[in-house]
Amino acid sequence: MILEYQTNSLATVQPLAQGLWRVTARTEDTLFSAEVILDIMAPALDIRNARIEVKRDALGLTPDLSGVSDKLIGVRVGPGMTKIVRGLIVGETGSARIAELMLEAMEMLVNALTVPELRKVTQSMGKDVVFPHDGPKVFLNDRVIGAEQAAMMASNPRLKDSCVVFRDPT
Amino acid sequence: MLIYSRIKSVGAQKQGENRRVVSGVLEDELYAMQCEIAVDWPTLTIESVQTRMKRFTTERCPLASEVFTRAEGWRLDSELDGKIKKELGRMGCRHMAILMVDCCRAVARAELTRELAAALEVDPGLDKKEFVQDFFRRYPELKDYLQLV
Repeated sequence: MILEYQTNSLATVQPLAQGLWRVTARTEDTLFSAEVILDIMAPALDIRNARIEVKRDALGLTPDLSGVSDKLIGVRVGPGMTKIVRGLIVGETGSARIAELMLEAMEMLVNALTVPELRKVTQSMGKDVVFPHDGPKVFLNDRVIGAEQAAMMASNPRLKDSCVVFRDPT
Repeated sequence: MLIYSRIKSVGAQKQGENRRVVSGVLEDELYAMQCEIAVDWPTLTIESVQTRMKRFTTERCPLASEVFTRAEGWRLDSELDGKIKKELGRMGCRHMAILMVDCCRAVARAELTRELAAALEVDPGLDKKEFVQDFFRRYPELKDYLQLV
């Protein structure tokens, strides 16, 4: 069957300087294309620069968001960001779709900062595994963080109960 | 140099009058996932969900696979994102939940896109805003779900 509709999105994180990252999130489908670019700085992980560009809006529904970028300056990546970003971007004259793209971009920084930590734990304390549902010829998961280590990580209140890994197995 | 990137790609198709099928993949430094969802149309009801956690970080991640079929019977409406994120994300995997949210929304956006393309063939000067209003009159549940704006 030939596809009738596709949507693609790409988010990237690039360091600009020590403690300063640029996150770019772009989404694209037949009718709509938009990109947000955020410069975010440690230690507060606050937005220092924000750019929103709607590149294609075939339905012509997206409102003028030119004033929104400045309002995002100072917003921090962390607890409460969903409410703040939606409060700033969603509404009569806003765009829920752009707000979601913005939140996705912010979340990608968290993921990016997690990668080296998880890599370290996997290398130093991970266990070699073969999963029955992996393969049968190519195995993508040769070494993962063990259940005991994951249980220890679950004591972090930010992780606790956030997914099956950090739930009490009993 | 990039330190992180994530792609998500979702494709939707119409299979007969009453069935819509969507497939999605997510890939980043940490995870690789795929999911396929069949939706009954026009009841907007999720009929079938199949998922594969391809690459993950912990030994416990594969346990998440047990929860995703809970979405079977759920409908495409304004409650769906929250249900997927809370019930499937927190009980299973947040990354798969994100992919499922995108897949479900793609089904609805594909329908609007397909109907718009057909309408434009008949009337190239079609008023698109009026078209959208008419679409929502036919599918009122999608008005707060589609996030066209």
